[in-house]
Amino acid sequence: MLTSLAEGPKHGYAITLDVERLSGMRLGPGTLYGALSRLEDKGLIEALPADARRRPYRLTAAGSAALREQLQTLERVARSGLDRLRVAEATG
Amino acid sequence: MRRLARYTLLLYPLAFRRRYGDEMCALLERTRVRPMTLLDLVRGALVAHYRAPAALAGLVDGADRMRASASGVLACWVVFAAAGFGFYKTTEDAPFTTAAHAHPLLGVAHVSVQALSVVGSVAVLAGALPLILPALKQARRDPGLRLRVSLPVIAALVFVGLTGLLVVAAHSEHGHRPSTAGGLWFIAWGLAGLGCAAVCVLAARASLFAMAVSRGSLVWALACGRLVAAAMVGMALATVLYTVALNVDASHLAGSPNGPLQATSVGASLLVQGVVMVLAAALATGTTRRGRRAAG
Repeated sequence: MLTSLAEGPKHGYAITLDVERLSGMRLGPGTLYGALSRLEDKGLIEALPADARRRPYRLTAAGSAALREQLQTLERVARSGLDRLRVAEATG
Repeated sequence: MRRLARYTLLLYPLAFRRRYGDEMCALLERTRVRPMTLLDLVRGALVAHYRAPAALAGLVDGADRMRASASGVLACWVVFAAAGFGFYKTTEDAPFTTAAHAHPLLGVAHVSVQALSVVGSVAVLAGALPLILPALKQARRDPGLRLRVSLPVIAALVFVGLTGLLVVAAHSEHGHRPSTAGGLWFIAWGLAGLGCAAVCVLAARASLFAMAVSRGSLVWALACGRLVAAAMVGMALATVLYTVALNVDASHLAGSPNGPLQATSVGASLLVQGVVMVLAAALATGTTRRGRRAAG
């Protein structure tokens, strides 16, 4: 969800569609708003003024930093995994 | 299905609904609602009750928090009572009484459910009475409140009428063997009963939020609510214990056909009833805990 918000503010429905496009996983409304409430509580995202009944959310500075850290960790893990696979395939 | 999903939002804590309710409704209007969506909402509501974000606490003042908790316990009690009625119907026949005498654990679990249901019912009445009396008094002057207060009475009368029809239908059947028509009548009666109960709970909740009520009455209602929640936890545990004991000590009974259409087994019925009871008891415990915090 943080990755989805990295490109700009989105409301719940847009986040659902984007997460589905990114991960192939469809978030239910209960899961989505449970996660939004926790991310908001941790100060990683913030709500913008509501547009009709839809309220857009955007990353805060802390959210951007947390996302960057998570993605860098994932990148390191992915790179290590691919390197090890390459070595294993070359040797054997 | 979409309307059912909107009603499922009522399971969420009041503060959560005030903050996210409109957005969730807007999302539901654009989403294809499936049974999995409903399950996701129920799971989300349970999580929201036990991991409520601290920032939401300020959205509901103490009195409204207590109103929400009191009406939440009533809703949980009604759902629990429906499952409890199912438990009673499942285990009312003579072979179950015989098994309860032969196996002490079964007997103790069954008696515990019965005793705690009396404790819970008395606590519900004791908690509701100081709220019903001022509601009736204020309803004389306030037409909106009068409508809300009269809805549960109308729903109860409709339910009594339907019960009468069911009894007449049962007596008009020949023989004692359960028939498909009788089973369908029973299912229709049960669904209508749930509908009437939902009207009672929602109207009672709307009345509670529309009327002036003393803090003392709300604190008393919540104290009774704690007792109701404790009784529900006890009964849910006793039902789970009964289900396990029946499967171990009297497996022939657990496997026997059950339900209005004899389409399921006793064991499966007890499992479903136990799950509903555990969920209702968990929600009641969560809502009374928040109400107690608001009451200070």
